Amino acid sequence: MTCAEAERLLDSFVDAELPGPMLLEVARHAGSCSTCDRAVRDMTALRSSLEQMVRGELEGIDLSGVWPAVEQRIVRSDRRGVWGRVPRRLPMWGAAAAAIAAGALLWFRTPPPEPVRVTHARPNQAVIERLVSSQGSRVGIMKDRKYGTTLIMVSAPGEDAGQ
Amino acid sequence: MIRRARTAPVGLTAAVVVLLLAVAATAQALSVEVTTVQASLEGPSDAQLLPFRPRLRRLVGYRAFRVIREESRPCVWRNREAFVIPGGRLLHVLPKGMREEAVVMQVQLLEGPRSLVDTDVRLQNRGVMLFGVDPERGTANGVIIIMLKAEE
Repeated sequence: MTCAEAERLLDSFVDAELPGPMLLEVARHAGSCSTCDRAVRDMTALRSSLEQMVRGELEGIDLSGVWPAVEQRIVRSDRRGVWGRVPRRLPMWGAAAAAIAAGALLWFRTPPPEPVRVTHARPNQAVIERLVSSQGSRVGIMKDRKYGTTLIMVSAPGEDAGQ
Repeated sequence: MIRRARTAPVGLTAAVVVLLLAVAATAQALSVEVTTVQASLEGPSDAQLLPFRPRLRRLVGYRAFRVIREESRPCVWRNREAFVIPGGRLLHVLPKGMREEAVVMQVQLLEGPRSLVDTDVRLQNRGVMLFGVDPERGTANGVIIIMLKAEE
């Protein structure tokens, strides 16, 4: 590893964010290169002094009033509920348009599937629940045993033949 | 007036959003494919029908199958769609819903004003079912096979 390569990785090295083998490689390089070793030491020192400074400032902040204020807001929000957030002055036509659109959504959406029972249906299986044919035409139902394909055969005499 | 102008876009936006959702829901509707096939005693068969040929032969007894019309389109649930079948016929498909991974639909085959067959079927999703129309003018003329496929 060269100094230039190590330099790019020093930040991550100090924060221990490098993957194991790379961390080891940077450490090895810093062990044999006094410049990089000094850079690592400087960075580590800077990091710890920053840490100390931030910790000191955090200790000085009084957070005792935060939670009661948050709790009070949660209670107020619960009391308002969902409808409390709807703009109070929503125009009637707007509400009506939204209601119509919601109705359209409910009408056009895919009907909810009925509860699924475990069955071993074949890929082309068709169940005929009702069948009505016109007067004069003959209807036959055939099923392919192998694939389960259903054929509804209609014999439709021509208009001249039917009279 | 100023207050009205400010609140009006809220309702309008809500309506537009819900309508867009409705459009998106219909976009996911059922896809119905109707393929009309002429079956005859002899002649070449279309390559696209090769996977169906053994089945068709077993079911209708003819040997040659050619596609004469093909139509695929999305169908909105509970909305009747008419597919044109050569020979002055129409196939009305009314998808009603899904049950046990199958598409429940009403299918009606019309010849002019006359309903040849009107049926309620439950076809396995992505499955194919067939309707055959035999004009009873002798076997030499062949029969029309309508392949109906429904996919949610």
